[in-house]
Amino acid sequence: MKKILNIAAVTIFLLVTSATVHAQKGDVKFNLNYNYSMPMGNFKDNIISNSSPRGGTGEIIYNFSSKLAIGGAFGYQDYYQKYPRAVYKTGPNETTSAVLSNSIQTVPVMAKLTYSPAGNGGAVQPYLSGGAGAAFVDFKQYLGEFGSATNSVSFVAQAGAGVFIPFGKLSAAGLRLGADYNYVPYNKDGFGALNTLDVHAGVYFPIR
Amino acid sequence: MKMKSSALITVLLGVIVFVSSCSKQPLNNLTQDETRIYITDRDSSANFATYKTFSISDSVAVIHDQYANKALTASDSAYIAATTKYMQQRGYVLVSRSQNPDIGVDVSRVYSTTGVINYYDYSGYYGGYYDPYYWGYSDYGYYMPYAYDVYQITEGAMSVDMLDLKNASTNKKINFIWTGLIRGEGIFSADNADTQVKALFDQSTYIKANN
Repeated sequence: MKKILNIAAVTIFLLVTSATVHAQKGDVKFNLNYNYSMPMGNFKDNIISNSSPRGGTGEIIYNFSSKLAIGGAFGYQDYYQKYPRAVYKTGPNETTSAVLSNSIQTVPVMAKLTYSPAGNGGAVQPYLSGGAGAAFVDFKQYLGEFGSATNSVSFVAQAGAGVFIPFGKLSAAGLRLGADYNYVPYNKDGFGALNTLDVHAGVYFPIR
Repeated sequence: MKMKSSALITVLLGVIVFVSSCSKQPLNNLTQDETRIYITDRDSSANFATYKTFSISDSVAVIHDQYANKALTASDSAYIAATTKYMQQRGYVLVSRSQNPDIGVDVSRVYSTTGVINYYDYSGYYGGYYDPYYWGYSDYGYYMPYAYDVYQITEGAMSVDMLDLKNASTNKKINFIWTGLIRGEGIFSADNADTQVKALFDQSTYIKANN
């Protein structure tokens, strides 16, 4: 996980510096969001059904018109579930009774496009967004206290919608509320996709 | 409301470190009982209904890396008693070694400082120190027709093995027909012995004499 955080930190640095270098004054905003994530499909059915209240996202947005913005996003989410003791078939004639714990941390890093059909006027500005990139996935599975860990990188694609709510009529800062669907075709060790539906709330503010 | 990028990066890194520190640590969310795992494996060709009697060692084999000796602590006695109890509950009759038991039962404590135990190696220890003392079939080698994956054992494990003595002379070897392995915290406790051996038998319903 330390390695993943280092990679994320470097990515964030590059995103921030490149956006601020190329942007005109007032064009670059930053989002910081609390993120609540709900596993979907195979992720929910076979790995972790608990929703995760432990996450956050950040996004650098460069508005190149009143309706369109590009940006870079990153995040962190921690998923965990402990299943009651059960007997698992672990070999042709081998069975293991154990409490099974699954622990997954994801760090998505994405390029994003945001479309605000009503532009940047109005008290509430709806938006649609889409993104794609890489998700660093740290998957740990424990039988009792005995665990194994797999670190990997997976493709991630995201579609989202939400609203920007400026603090004032002329303010470039405000609240952001929204939801995203994340497609993460993990497919490692037979575990399948790690798709999620996330809701987030945060603030945005100009950084240049 | 505007921030310099260096300040922003500092804030972001702080947020990342804070959020990641909020992660659930799986090992911190386990009770002592939940840390334990119970693994059983069997020889699929063995028909447990054909065995009627068993004998169990009166001490525990302590296997430590390349060395083995015998011991009998309070915990060891509790494991032997519990194993005897559950074998009898499944219909097997306890006899002495001199009465030609169908099944020989050994209870072992296994430790490894190297961190890895391969069960083929483990079974090989019986061919050394324990063979003459335990079952008196020194002319025969031991054979495990099944094998666990290689398990990392650093804190120790408790093992119960069943050996096919009934067919030893026919097979010209002593086959392991069942192995139960207990790992986790608090396993070397006399208070926990019964429930742990029970767990091994509970997941091995095929162990049943046909009386």
